[in-house]
Amino acid sequence: MFLQTLITGFSIGGIYALMAVGYSLVFSILNFSNFAHGTIIMLGAYIGYFLISSFNLSFPLSLIGAVLGAALLSLLNLRLAYNPLINRRSPSLYLMITAMGVSIFLENMVYVTVGSHFYSFPEIFKQSTIKFFGSDISPLDLAALIFSLISIYALHIFLTKTKIGTAIRAASYDMTTASLNGVNMTKLIGIVFLLAGAFAGLAGVFLGVKYMVYPTMGWITNKAYIAAVIGGLGSLPGAVIGGLILGVLETFVSVYISSTIRDVFSFSMVIIFLVIQPAGLLGKYLEEKV
Amino acid sequence: MPLLELKNVTKAFGGIIAVKDVSFSVDSGEIIGLIGPNGAGKTTIFNLITGVYKPTEGNIVFDGKDITGASPASIVNAGIARTFQNIRLFNKLSVLENIRTVLYREADYGLGDALLRTPKVTRIEKKLYDKSLEYLEVVGLTDFIKNRADSLPYGLQRKLEIARALALDPKLLLLDEPAAGMNPDECVDLVELIEKIKKTYDLTIILIEHHMDVVMELCPRIVVINFGEMLMEGTTQEVQNDSRVLKAYLGEEYANA
Amino acid sequence: MDYIYGVMAVICIEIIATVGLSVFTGFTGLFSLGHAAFMAIGAYTSAILTYFYHVPFVLALLSGMLMSGLISIILGFPTLRAKLRGDYFAIATLGFGEAMRVILENLSITQGARGLPGIKHYTTLPVAAIFAVVVVWLTKNFILSKFGRNAIAVREDAVAAEMAGIDLFKVRMLSLIYSAMCGGLAGGLFAHYLNFIQPAMFTSVLSTQLTSAVVAGGMGSITGPILAIALFIAVPEVLRVANMWRLVAYGLILVLIMIFRPSGIMGYHELSFEWIGNLFRKKNCNKIADKRRT
Repeated sequence: MFLQTLITGFSIGGIYALMAVGYSLVFSILNFSNFAHGTIIMLGAYIGYFLISSFNLSFPLSLIGAVLGAALLSLLNLRLAYNPLINRRSPSLYLMITAMGVSIFLENMVYVTVGSHFYSFPEIFKQSTIKFFGSDISPLDLAALIFSLISIYALHIFLTKTKIGTAIRAASYDMTTASLNGVNMTKLIGIVFLLAGAFAGLAGVFLGVKYMVYPTMGWITNKAYIAAVIGGLGSLPGAVIGGLILGVLETFVSVYISSTIRDVFSFSMVIIFLVIQPAGLLGKYLEEKV
Repeated sequence: MPLLELKNVTKAFGGIIAVKDVSFSVDSGEIIGLIGPNGAGKTTIFNLITGVYKPTEGNIVFDGKDITGASPASIVNAGIARTFQNIRLFNKLSVLENIRTVLYREADYGLGDALLRTPKVTRIEKKLYDKSLEYLEVVGLTDFIKNRADSLPYGLQRKLEIARALALDPKLLLLDEPAAGMNPDECVDLVELIEKIKKTYDLTIILIEHHMDVVMELCPRIVVINFGEMLMEGTTQEVQNDSRVLKAYLGEEYANA
Repeated sequence: MDYIYGVMAVICIEIIATVGLSVFTGFTGLFSLGHAAFMAIGAYTSAILTYFYHVPFVLALLSGMLMSGLISIILGFPTLRAKLRGDYFAIATLGFGEAMRVILENLSITQGARGLPGIKHYTTLPVAAIFAVVVVWLTKNFILSKFGRNAIAVREDAVAAEMAGIDLFKVRMLSLIYSAMCGGLAGGLFAHYLNFIQPAMFTSVLSTQLTSAVVAGGMGSITGPILAIALFIAVPEVLRVANMWRLVAYGLILVLIMIFRPSGIMGYHELSFEWIGNLFRKKNCNKIADKRRT
């Protein structure tokens, strides 16, 4: 039972981490919480679902389609909604309100156009389970976890080993200096949103496969945001660690205490956590310059 | 007894030491200059004095009391006010309200009175209004009382910041680059203003400034900071003639030339 | 006629909650996504008191306000004390709203998700209107006092406010309690207007409506949000729009306002005859600003 819970927790944590990465990427460069990220994840799930069910594409192709689609939507979101504010150097509160607006708008657009049906992905992995030290593990959970970790690692390599990645990291420390050094900020921010969107598409499909596709599935992403906060907004390893910690703790709470208080637990945890460690586990120094 | 005393103050951010073992004292009624190249740690020293940061090591004593690590609010109440390098006004409030806001400590009415707007509130608010006007008169902003703070030109915003600091009724005033972005005429104007407020309000002043003529004009004594450390302390003359100071500002080659 | 009467009563009730939230979000600069929860607390507290314990209406309303205020302290104490970034506070309020829903659905005295029917009808239009006028008047006084100025100072520049000796935690806490109590009052009036409440009435839809009204009306205005909430309620009634389309519109309004007029419909002004008059003679005061831009 214990091992089983732990493994389930890790696989949920893996998906949280996948979603949390998007929050952290955007936060690291623009210093605001992009609450529209959850909606992009939801749209990614819909794209994946319709590609696989209506166009009869294979799972890998649908996944790629979802990734590309979500990345484009993310870029569109930036161009239409955020860029006017970024160019005006608006306070980050305004960006956050806009993000909220985008999220409310898109989520309910899906409601009124596609409807509130729950769609489930066709069977991709066989229902059979793998035995592991006497516990049943679903191949889906295992695949989700492994895939999450691999793609986040790939992102890490991209950020540390390539020229664009280095520029992104430089900009996340100091945007003014980076732009003085000839880094094209508009392009860089665009790339960051494309990346965040790609991860949203990935996360959306995995989330959809695991929990079905419906308009308010973005609610789950609030917990991914919590994971990013716990790990330290703006930090990639932080997002992974935060995601795994939250996934495991939450699964234990719902198995051993009660599943109704699971979400309440997550929110209370983040509040308590922030009181003790305001910048998160690995977050950058957040105090304002005077 | 000095009004303010810094004893071996050090501040480290993680591994970076921003201020290292700085000690100096300011006597009551003095006006001293704090100079040094950009990034030397001057503003950090102001932040340490006003409680924005807590020193990693060392002590700060003000008016006989140890204020090391005290909260910004208690330090203001002890009698230290400041202005900011990058002007921080309450932008959307009017010029007058910027001053009236910081006079809240003299607004001796409770929440109940405020909600019901009793005659007591009206009376006190009127008193604060008049008092705010007095401060604005000192810095010459009475023509703009209804304008929003962020609609003022740069130079006037700096003056409003000074007036706001004065309204906190300080014994010690910390001015962080008050002449930044001012032309020579405005600088002359500012020097006169600082001399005037020092006399009127019986102030002790520490001045961070890059306009050397302003510093030389105002400050008989100067503390020079470089790379977070105290380079020297001395009279205007001593500082002007010190090769280390030239080197710090202009680099090795120029100093030797 | 009854119908118009009803819409107006709802507008009056929601004005109370919106004006309260404008103190917190508009004047103090903190974003909340869970203020419907305070309405729920006020609604349930007062309804339980009048329904089960036959407490007089006004006393029940007061109790609802107090309960909301108390619970806002529980929310605010850890979150505002730690000087959390605005984003973190927003997510905390989101969680708070969700927690409140779970609690209301699982308590026996609230009768869970089925809700409380048969609450006495005490809130008539005149009652709601009188309360709305009183709350607006109190709020105006609050904003024009040192408490309001301190709140605006904290919103405008928290660092400078702190350096002027203003206690950020106290200011933010006071605004939160004030807005929570207004929410509690609105909730209590709401319960005794509809005669029936259930947890599903106080979801994020309502929170979004309140917050959108404050943002759209103007963060730093009392009359702006009043105008906005009145429109938000009246327009869909006239057009008979489904709930979901309303949310689509709120979302779009938030985005468009932030892009084109971040200071809201009213900006930092109040709707008054003087202001309307100034609209036509306005140019003078902006001269300096114009000069600087050129």
